[in-house]
Amino acid sequence: MDLSLLYGRRELVAKADLPEKIPAAVQLLPTIEVGTTRIRCLRCNATTPLKEARLPRGQSYCPQCLNLGRVSTLDQFYHVAEPNQFAPIAEPLTWSGTLSPLQVRVAAEVKDSMLSHEQRLLWAVTGAGKTEMIFPTIEQAIRRGERVCIASPRVDVCLELFPRLRAAFQSVPMVLLHGRQEEPYKYCQLTICTTHQLLRFYHAFDLLIVDEVDSFPYAANEQLLYATTQAKKTTGGLLMMTATPGEVLQRQIKAHRLAVSYLPLRYHGHLLPKIRCVQIDYRWQEKLKQGHSPRQVGVWIRQHLRAQKRFLLFVPHIENLADLRQCLQRELPQCSFTTVYANDEQRLAKVQRMRDHQYDFLVTTTILERGVTFPGIDVCVLGADEKIFSSSALVQIAGRVGRSSQCPDGNVTFFVKENARNVKAAYQQIKYLNRLGRRIQ
Amino acid sequence: MKQCLICSGSINWQPSFHELISWRPLTPPVICQQCQQQFALITDHDLCRGCGRQRESLCPDCQTWQEQLGFVIHNRSLYSYNDAMKEYMHSYKFMGDYRLRQVFQRQFTALVKSISADVVIPIPVTQHTRLTRGFNQVTGLLEDCRLVTDVLLTSQQHKLVPQSHKKRTERLLAPQPFMLQQATKIKGKKVLLVDDVYTTGRTIYHAATLCRQAGCESVSSVALAS
Repeated sequence: MDLSLLYGRRELVAKADLPEKIPAAVQLLPTIEVGTTRIRCLRCNATTPLKEARLPRGQSYCPQCLNLGRVSTLDQFYHVAEPNQFAPIAEPLTWSGTLSPLQVRVAAEVKDSMLSHEQRLLWAVTGAGKTEMIFPTIEQAIRRGERVCIASPRVDVCLELFPRLRAAFQSVPMVLLHGRQEEPYKYCQLTICTTHQLLRFYHAFDLLIVDEVDSFPYAANEQLLYATTQAKKTTGGLLMMTATPGEVLQRQIKAHRLAVSYLPLRYHGHLLPKIRCVQIDYRWQEKLKQGHSPRQVGVWIRQHLRAQKRFLLFVPHIENLADLRQCLQRELPQCSFTTVYANDEQRLAKVQRMRDHQYDFLVTTTILERGVTFPGIDVCVLGADEKIFSSSALVQIAGRVGRSSQCPDGNVTFFVKENARNVKAAYQQIKYLNRLGRRIQ
Repeated sequence: MKQCLICSGSINWQPSFHELISWRPLTPPVICQQCQQQFALITDHDLCRGCGRQRESLCPDCQTWQEQLGFVIHNRSLYSYNDAMKEYMHSYKFMGDYRLRQVFQRQFTALVKSISADVVIPIPVTQHTRLTRGFNQVTGLLEDCRLVTDVLLTSQQHKLVPQSHKKRTERLLAPQPFMLQQATKIKGKKVLLVDDVYTTGRTIYHAATLCRQAGCESVSSVALAS
């Protein structure tokens, strides 16, 4: 048995397979707490009615975290307490870039608070350069021989982060973990993983950084919130990062229960673009099905085509994509565009073609809300008042605009049929950040 | 609103008027319509009288059994073993999601009860599987069936290679994995063997051979999928 694989982890072992002799360092931990009517899974902390969790012969299992391997009363956990067994690294940070004066200030604030292992939120607008700002914090932790993890609810964010971190910390051993991965786990000082994978760790990290805390499925998911608290050591520091904190986090900030570092300006020092709302027909969804796109949208598109400005058009549902495509193809036969959705097989190819200026615009669902950057682009959202767009998703969408320093400004238009809370919240969030930004500009 | 056990989508279900006035307990579905449609029910009538699959009176596979052992078993299956069923079996058996037994439990039990038999024998799992998986997937699919008897046992403690990982030819060469306990219980009886998946028929024929040696009157079999 390679003990290093168990450092700070909990591995399932069937009671039937337990060897006679277990090394002294290995602890055996229980898997499930059985109550009178419900059971509690000690891995994901979810409770399930006994009736649903039942196995024959009085045994039970947790149906909520099956994807990570079934936890049942027939199993136990192997666990070895995290020993922080790392070779000291003289010069961990090999990144040669520089931070802007504003970024330096925020980075120092974060670094100091992580020195004393606090909990902190880094609220930096989209395109502020969050990743680079945490490099000094990670460097400090690695110098102190601490175990560090960077987690994100999204696989694509992890996949994008990993090469950037490997380039920045060339001498630090690191491992990437996510559900669809073939490579086996190994014990490293720096771990990059999805938030689901955090459930496999137990009191392991001195510094845990969670990126995009507001995004699906992490936000409002008790299981994953629990995963973060138990994956870090009880004395460990927690740094959450987001451009658009949800209601829960904002309330915590207002009540001064959560320390926060703001970065309200983008790296090029400009403010976020302001949202413009345009009212459209109340029954636009039905009319779209009959083959009529909203008039105002057509006007907006023609304006942009005339000005030769490229843009993204967001729609609330996948069904809207086909209808809108037919409408636009009939109304504007001369322009080139395409539709993209989450399970589209050619998703990456289409996005690449948009980058190569082969399309005038893309029609898409919320999948392109984060992480996709096209320089000098405008954005409009058809039906922004639909429930599917959360206020943070809307702020993220608005954040697609003006990311490059050549064109730091742009047009964000929301086509709405009525006033809605999510649109208002997004509008106010941008206004608030711009007010903070103007103060330091 | 209940969640679908397979795709976790919501289930839209309202009891029909007929169900309401029938005065029987209401049975809301546990999976959604879309997931249900993925499974292919076997409805044809001109099936092989052996394995109950291909459209021939006796398919080549069953002819081979006839030549080798001198008898064929009449097998009936509810569903064909398509991708959805494969996925289902994976989650139910190998991931160990015991709730999934409810998906086919009623329908399968009804099929088993509709066949006239004196004893119903589910194919057993090994000792090791019982201790790690915690359940026998076949008995899980049977809901309070009086006739179920556990006379069949596995002689192996531990399955070295799972059946589903073997190739067809390897499976056909597999040695007898079962033994009978209290063989007198089935003497002169009509035996119905129950399994989850019928692939090559090897498992069922092993069990059937034992039953015939013990002197039962007839052997037939039922599988959830084939």
